[in-house]
Amino acid sequence: MNHSKQLSLINEAINKTKEQLKPTSVNFIFWGLLISMMSLIHYFFSEFIQKTAYSSLFYWTTVPIIGMVITVIYNIKTSVRLGYETHIGRALKLVWGVFNIAWLVIVVLSIFKKQNPVQEILFLLGIVLLISALLIRFTPLIIGAIAVISCSVLIAILPSINVLLINAVATFVGLVIPGLSLYLSKKHV
Amino acid sequence: MFEPLDKLLTNPIRLMVMSVLIKVSDCDFNYLKKITNSTQGNLSVQLKKLAESEYISIAKSFENNYPKTKLKITKKGILAFENHFKNLKKYQNLDL
Repeated sequence: MNHSKQLSLINEAINKTKEQLKPTSVNFIFWGLLISMMSLIHYFFSEFIQKTAYSSLFYWTTVPIIGMVITVIYNIKTSVRLGYETHIGRALKLVWGVFNIAWLVIVVLSIFKKQNPVQEILFLLGIVLLISALLIRFTPLIIGAIAVISCSVLIAILPSINVLLINAVATFVGLVIPGLSLYLSKKHV
Repeated sequence: MFEPLDKLLTNPIRLMVMSVLIKVSDCDFNYLKKITNSTQGNLSVQLKKLAESEYISIAKSFENNYPKTKLKITKKGILAFENHFKNLKKYQNLDL
């Protein structure tokens, strides 16, 4: 086999093994819609959600944990179907795994501090989104991440602002819109 | 200075396997079979040769009662592939 043929074989194999970004975009859309809907439901039915001292805590932990289980199953199935995991895919998996743990810690700490955790969670989400966006080099996600961080700053500057509405807007702008744009794009890494 | 090419990597199947494994964190046997367009027996032989030279590591397990083979490139494999690629580029320039 000559040298050019060997180089073209390397090129062919590497090009066939692309980072599949569609499952990543499905995760973004799922979480964006879930958290936006949860925020709006909480906002419009606050009397029901905040019926007891722990009902809103139950609402904000149970539903996302169910969501985590669904996404973990989906991601495992996708990975099995694909047959490989790229270095970027592994980095994304680790970053979002750490985010899930940090999210749980923030929620638990907020109970002890009797503080609303939305600002901290949005800031953390914005940072993790920015890392993901830079890893996959996707501009709409960079813009979405900056929007989420800005929403977190807005809560800090304007304490009287409704955090549930801000949360709904931030997750929609930061996750759903970039997620849809990633889903529809033909981008591969 | 022109170094001789790594004979282990001049085989098309082994070269394709190494090219895939350099890009991924891990990969399963069936995917490599699809990419290399080779038979199960032939691919197994080529993988065994790469594993014997410590270019790749092979992990076998069971998933839902089905055997599963996961492959990873080793540090030695990465160095060998990079070296082979550099040499190929040098030789290609010489061809021109």
